[in-house]
Amino acid sequence: MNSLMRQTKAIFWKDIITETRTRQGFSAMVSFAALVLFLFSFAVGPDTDLLTQLAGGLLWVTIVFTGTLSLGRAYQSEELAGGVQLLRLYPGDARAIYLGKLAGNLVILTTLELVLFPATAIIFHVDLLPHVTSLITVAALGTIGFSVIGTFFATLTVHLRARELLLPLLLFPALVPVVLGSVGATDAFLSGDPLGRAAGWLQLLIAYDVILFVVCVWIFPVVLEE
Amino acid sequence: MSPIVRVQGLTRRFGRRWALRGIDLEVERGTVVALLGANGTGKTTLLKVFSTLLRPTAGRVEVLGSVLPRDQDYVRAKTALMTPTGHTYEELTGLENLRFATHMSGPPLSDSSLHEILMGVRLENAANTRVRAYSTGMRKRLELARMQLRTPELVLLDEPFVSLDEEGIQLVQSKISDWRSEGTSVIIASHRIATATAGADRIVRLERGRVASEETA
Repeated sequence: MNSLMRQTKAIFWKDIITETRTRQGFSAMVSFAALVLFLFSFAVGPDTDLLTQLAGGLLWVTIVFTGTLSLGRAYQSEELAGGVQLLRLYPGDARAIYLGKLAGNLVILTTLELVLFPATAIIFHVDLLPHVTSLITVAALGTIGFSVIGTFFATLTVHLRARELLLPLLLFPALVPVVLGSVGATDAFLSGDPLGRAAGWLQLLIAYDVILFVVCVWIFPVVLEE
Repeated sequence: MSPIVRVQGLTRRFGRRWALRGIDLEVERGTVVALLGANGTGKTTLLKVFSTLLRPTAGRVEVLGSVLPRDQDYVRAKTALMTPTGHTYEELTGLENLRFATHMSGPPLSDSSLHEILMGVRLENAANTRVRAYSTGMRKRLELARMQLRTPELVLLDEPFVSLDEEGIQLVQSKISDWRSEGTSVIIASHRIATATAGADRIVRLERGRVASEETA
């Protein structure tokens, strides 16, 4: 196994072990996400048709909010261990740090979505079962897009004093194509895609994910050094 | 043989504050150098520059014959740094921390080798205990164990004796002596004069970011 793979696996394994042993953090994130969904449903009111129409958008906004909290947590253990910069001192490719953290964020966010999608179905009166395969595709592409750019910006802001504020400020504008694509495709699938728009949104997501991944992996070592 | 560290006119600034104000220093290969000085005199900054964690603001820094920051990958592969707080993860056990570090360092060592290293720092009974339950001294010993996973040419120890009991101090001193006999150069930054200078070949005193004096021990 080459050193990039070995180090990526080591960082991923370490992050997942840490997350499973601090379960209260994950529980808090799930509670936060459920609260946001409930607040949205209260804000929209008892109109079930309207709730169903807005379900896709509100679900993805909730994923973005909760995912941003999760990104902050991903670097908490590094800060307690002396800072992510100490990982740089291990010989090898700095991209392993990015890829390991990215894999960890993907797993955590996917686990969160396993709770959020059924919760959305219940709160917003949406029947997800007929669209499961399509929604899994959208969720996978949206989650990859969010994690790729989120992991990058979380590293960029980790040493900054106002990182809790700066991370969403940098992240949210960059996430616009991901959110547009995910919401568009989710809405299209939930409504049976009468206009055949879903394919276009999925293509946007695939293109954005690939471009972001290549750019982030390419420039990550420079960001880490600076 | 060229020195393992050669520094000329090294300065480092944090905002408006100068941490290092023109350091000139040479460290010969295979020697132990004690870097002494009160808090805030630039010891930690100097070690961070040597380890490539910080870039110099100005001046020339040559470590292991490589000029920094240009050849930092080579320097990282041959240098080991012990920070005062250590680089261990609280939610992992002592053994898991070493397992992580060995996978990050190169071809990983087996668990039995890791157990032996833990035994060497008297942590064999705490191998499967999470680091969050370790005392500060135990964390320091684990950090010492982590340093033994590689065979560096330059070891940088920042306040290695803080929070250690007598047995712990002897462990660190014995390891320093092992490194020296293996030809590894060691730089110890400390404000504990008596402990840091025991076994040192040279003593360098820093004051306000400058070398105030140098003497052979």
